[in-house]
Amino acid sequence: MSRSAAPALAVSHGLLRALVALNLLAGLFILTLLVLSLVAAPFFVKAMGIAPGTLLLGGRLIMLFGLASIPLMHRLLTRLLAIVGTVGAGDPFVPLNAQRLRTCAWALLGLELLHLAVGAASAAGQIDVDWDFTPTGLLAVLLLFVLAQVFAQGARMRDDLEGTV
Amino acid sequence: MAIIVNLDAVLHDRRMTLTDLADRIGIALANLSILKTGKAKAVRFSTLDAICAALECQPGDILAFDPNLAAADDGEEA
Repeated sequence: MSRSAAPALAVSHGLLRALVALNLLAGLFILTLLVLSLVAAPFFVKAMGIAPGTLLLGGRLIMLFGLASIPLMHRLLTRLLAIVGTVGAGDPFVPLNAQRLRTCAWALLGLELLHLAVGAASAAGQIDVDWDFTPTGLLAVLLLFVLAQVFAQGARMRDDLEGTV
Repeated sequence: MAIIVNLDAVLHDRRMTLTDLADRIGIALANLSILKTGKAKAVRFSTLDAICAALECQPGDILAFDPNLAAADDGEEA
């Protein structure tokens, strides 16, 4: 491993761990808001400064989508963390990493679909959540699927190299 | 595997140890040990070249094919 790669790995590792924790916290926050909107609707409407009716329903729907994205994001981040771990250990070309990248790709695809669903819900409920469509996420999904294939091939080549003198 | 590695015998003839050979050709002792004990899955031509140059021998002096072992392998696979 090159000398400059080691700090980058350490930073990635720390950052990913922080993101895992933040993601779980965000999940807890959204869940609290959602429960609050269900058990104390008048208070919630007043606190958030929104109009009741369709707006509240749309808001709940968006929170539900947000909540659904938490386990997907958790999967994505923990798999990425595991991959970074194998890079640190000096042997990233293992079949398990190809599988992890594929899991990341599916998780990201799920997140992108949820992002589209949030867009649809905000448009239907006329709630401004500053939503916009970018193809970057979908491109990243494609990239991850391709990268998973690359890793699967790399793992096979690594296996060939094992025991070569 | 029906390929036999006779590195030990050639080294013995040359009165050379595996460590000497490793030092001379610049290949890790651990890797040469894998080759000597027949655990290697593949040998690079560059490794073979270096070994033959250092031991002044032919690849056939180091590597051999045993048809009996090949037959035994086939029996196992069947």
